[in-house]
Amino acid sequence: MHELLQTTVNGLTTGCLYALIALGYSMVYGILKLLNFAHGDLYMVGAYIGYFVIQWFGGPNAVSIPVPLLLAIMVLLAAVGVGVLGMAIERFAYRPLRDAPRIAPLITALGVSFVLENTVLLLFGGFTRSYSTPTFISFNSGITLDGVRIDSVELMIFGLSFAMMYGLHQLVQRTTLGKSMRAVASDREAAEMLGINVDRTIALTFFIGSAMAGVAGVMSGLAFNQISNTIGFLAGLKAFTAAVVGGIGSIAGSMIGGLLIGLCESFSASYVSSEYTDLIVFGILIATMLLRPTGILGQKALQKV
Amino acid sequence: MSLLELDQVSLTFGGLKALWELDLHVDEREIVSVIGPNGAGKSTVFNVITGVYRPTAGDIRFAGDSIVGLRPHRITSRGIARTFQSLRLFLNMSVKENVKSATYGHTKASPPESILRLPRARREEREVDALAEQLLAFFGDRLQGYRWDQPAYSLSYANRRRLEIARALATRPQLLLLDEPAAGMNPRETHEVTELIVRLRDELGVAILVIEHDMHVVAGCSERVVALDHGVKIAEGSYEEVANHHAVVEAYLGRDPEALAES
Amino acid sequence: MTDPAQIGRDEWVARSADRRDEGTGLRRVLNQLDARVGWWPRLAAVALGGVIVGQLLTNVNLQQVGFNSLLYALLALGLNIAVGWAGLLDLGYIAFFGFGAYGFAIFSSAALGTGGSGGAHLPAIEIIVIVLAAAGVVGVLIGLVALRLDGDYLAIVTLFVGQAFMEVVNNVDPGTLGGVNGLFGLDPLHDFGGQVSSTLGYYYVALAALVLVAAVLRLLDTSRTGRAWRALRDDPLAAAAMTIPVNRLKVMAFSFGAIVGALAGILFAAQQSTVFPTNFTANILILIYACLVLGGVGSITGAILGGIVVTVAEQMLSSPTDAGYLFYGLILLALVAKVRPWRRLAWVLGGIVALGFAAHGIVSLISSSAVAGHPGSTGWIGSVVSNYVIVPSNPVGYGNVLYIVVLCAMIAVVRLEGVRRLLAVIPTVYIAACCWESRLIVNPAITTQIMIGVVLIVTMAARPQGLLGSRRVEIV
Repeated sequence: MHELLQTTVNGLTTGCLYALIALGYSMVYGILKLLNFAHGDLYMVGAYIGYFVIQWFGGPNAVSIPVPLLLAIMVLLAAVGVGVLGMAIERFAYRPLRDAPRIAPLITALGVSFVLENTVLLLFGGFTRSYSTPTFISFNSGITLDGVRIDSVELMIFGLSFAMMYGLHQLVQRTTLGKSMRAVASDREAAEMLGINVDRTIALTFFIGSAMAGVAGVMSGLAFNQISNTIGFLAGLKAFTAAVVGGIGSIAGSMIGGLLIGLCESFSASYVSSEYTDLIVFGILIATMLLRPTGILGQKALQKV
Repeated sequence: MSLLELDQVSLTFGGLKALWELDLHVDEREIVSVIGPNGAGKSTVFNVITGVYRPTAGDIRFAGDSIVGLRPHRITSRGIARTFQSLRLFLNMSVKENVKSATYGHTKASPPESILRLPRARREEREVDALAEQLLAFFGDRLQGYRWDQPAYSLSYANRRRLEIARALATRPQLLLLDEPAAGMNPRETHEVTELIVRLRDELGVAILVIEHDMHVVAGCSERVVALDHGVKIAEGSYEEVANHHAVVEAYLGRDPEALAES
Repeated sequence: MTDPAQIGRDEWVARSADRRDEGTGLRRVLNQLDARVGWWPRLAAVALGGVIVGQLLTNVNLQQVGFNSLLYALLALGLNIAVGWAGLLDLGYIAFFGFGAYGFAIFSSAALGTGGSGGAHLPAIEIIVIVLAAAGVVGVLIGLVALRLDGDYLAIVTLFVGQAFMEVVNNVDPGTLGGVNGLFGLDPLHDFGGQVSSTLGYYYVALAALVLVAAVLRLLDTSRTGRAWRALRDDPLAAAAMTIPVNRLKVMAFSFGAIVGALAGILFAAQQSTVFPTNFTANILILIYACLVLGGVGSITGAILGGIVVTVAEQMLSSPTDAGYLFYGLILLALVAKVRPWRRLAWVLGGIVALGFAAHGIVSLISSSAVAGHPGSTGWIGSVVSNYVIVPSNPVGYGNVLYIVVLCAMIAVVRLEGVRRLLAVIPTVYIAACCWESRLIVNPAITTQIMIGVVLIVTMAARPQGLLGSRRVEIV
């Protein structure tokens, strides 16, 4: 029973991270109908930013400022840095191709992903780096419920993820920017004619989506302690699966999809075999596509003839 | 027995009734026009017949057999060809290849036969080539004399419409569905389209169901006119009958035409 | 009656395309050649050229490069079927390559034996027939899944297929598939009492395979199947309305691509005599995409050319002497192609040279340690640039910073217009040279990967039809 609960907690932690990445995928896909392969790599860049913040403030063994402040700086810098990077990628790689054949931006996205991954390899080397989280956040600082451990990093991931998703939901539903985003997503030309600044809306969508991936990167570094330049590929693939399973274009869907994929992973790792987790996730993706291509919360689009 | 029969066909998207209990028939070698205001469901009729949408209720019979639920390429292979209102040519293929591509359904050579250029593949290729040239020649000096190897995107708008018709004919249809063949054409070209439609029927023996806004075309070619509004058939008969039918006038002009005329 | 204005317009439009095609100078000559030489003479020329080049490949390294070029050309040809003709973005193609390689490995090693001895050791023809047939079936199966998906969804599912292949060969039945250690000690291609034993031998086998596949694809392209694929790529819905069974053709495209990919895999495994899971990563997939995209999506000649260009460039990058030719040559080529008139070009080139020597001189006066490092290039390029670029004694950190600066500077160049752009080009090229000599050339493997990514991005933005593809019109 304890093992079951512990597996659930672990699954939800990973699931939150997938959900955050999935949100960015989903937003960008919703607004541009573009599968941004580079999104997973933005997550990886976020993880590196967090790592260098720790190094800057004395390294994990001698943190020179209060830990909560350190965490805040990590999250903020990763969000802003990765957000700006995402905006720059949109501006210089994707915007020129907005009216190009569908296959062109996809190939560009592959290229961007490849450049990002190898740029980090060039600048920081290919070895795995460690956040060494336990040395500055004690693992005893979490809570124990009925014998199930939830450490403080996991609590933070839950809190921050749900806060960000709630914030995003409010943003999309309530603000002018959110309305513009929905308008551009449903019909770009019409939105433009109504006086919506389409370029700015798309750029901000990229900023928000990328920022969330950046935050997810920092948190995965804190939770799993290991980062390298290749963590983006698989995480991106799984997050996209989450977005599809939940229903692409839907915020709640991405969240549900992310949590679902996270749970599947941790359960299959505990009860089946950790070697086959990726294949199981792949199976879920195929099953979703075949049985309910719109995902759990997605809506069917009408084909226009 | 009619060539095409729509029997109480309905199509709903969620709560929206795109078509409602529509009865429609086209006889062999008959030219029927479908008219109606924008959004009346005219193109939807074509999409239902050709299998793009599956009707939610009712039956569609072609030459006596139900074709509901067949995939679009099967329906076309049975003898119903269409053009598209929004022009869906294969723009990056040559003019001639556009026509030849539509012969896929009545050619049989498998890839190995084609690769080895076995007799059947050679014979079919010759036949297809001749058919394409014959069909393009049907449009007289409009499409003849151009370089048939130039890409379709280099054609003018009117010629793209003509090429769409030629391509549809290459499927060897018994029934041809034309979706606004005169849209965007000048009066002279419009007149030619009218003549063309009659010639297609007379010389090739096809039945034609045509959607058209231009009443000169409708009056000039159709033997029967069907008027739709909000997915429901509101009138049917000769052009004069339908054009003067009060429901049709209302559909186009609003409820009180006299009041409109006075104001 | 004819309507002269209308006809005139059509012909003008048609001819305007010709006018653009014609171009000037060398481009005109090439275009005219392209229009006049038929397809079969061209293929014969490729075959003959391949044989002549084969005679010139005097050492094993060169022969290996030649073999790799042909292998990637073959891979690009196979990828072109799904991507270029049917318009399906297949990111699982690498799995078919791996499937062929592992298929060959299993039947020509001790994998099916017990305790490291025995095994199938089948002759080449049998293996090729079995593996290609199996690959065709696998292609059909994956194609059947792909039917339900379009565009982007297809891309992500096929990307997963590639990943799944890696997981399977890594984890499933290590006794047979070898796990992470791969399979080794494979037989060479052998049949009828003979065997292919030298790298040059494999070069000729690959050349024969390439010419054969290109001929088959050309015959297919001009048949009803090829037409149907191209129709499908332009407009699937209209294709279905024109009696084309869209689903069957998609599956066929996957299946044919799988067979060509698997054939390349067989050649690869036989020549290497080993297979490892890491031979089939997403990096290789992107390399194949780079070949296809650079050569021109949809063009047989383009795919072959792309495969050769990318492989040769990759090889050049790994040698410090040749890498210099590639880097400075490309810059020069880009400037000559883009900067007009000639006088302006002379100014820009002069500016680039002068800036470098001036900067080097000034910095060396201030601090001799700032220029104490050696440029990464060797040979005469190395000695020429040693007084040109600034390379400090510890160049890594410096080079990293420059790399970021170069990226920003390139973006600035793209953004600026007219004379300002030309002015921005001068320092950008110089900084790029410094970065190249101090950092990039030192890590040729990473630099290659970055350049492949850049090739994809730049080609899509500047010339989406690649070197030899034809311009496409698409209504999005």
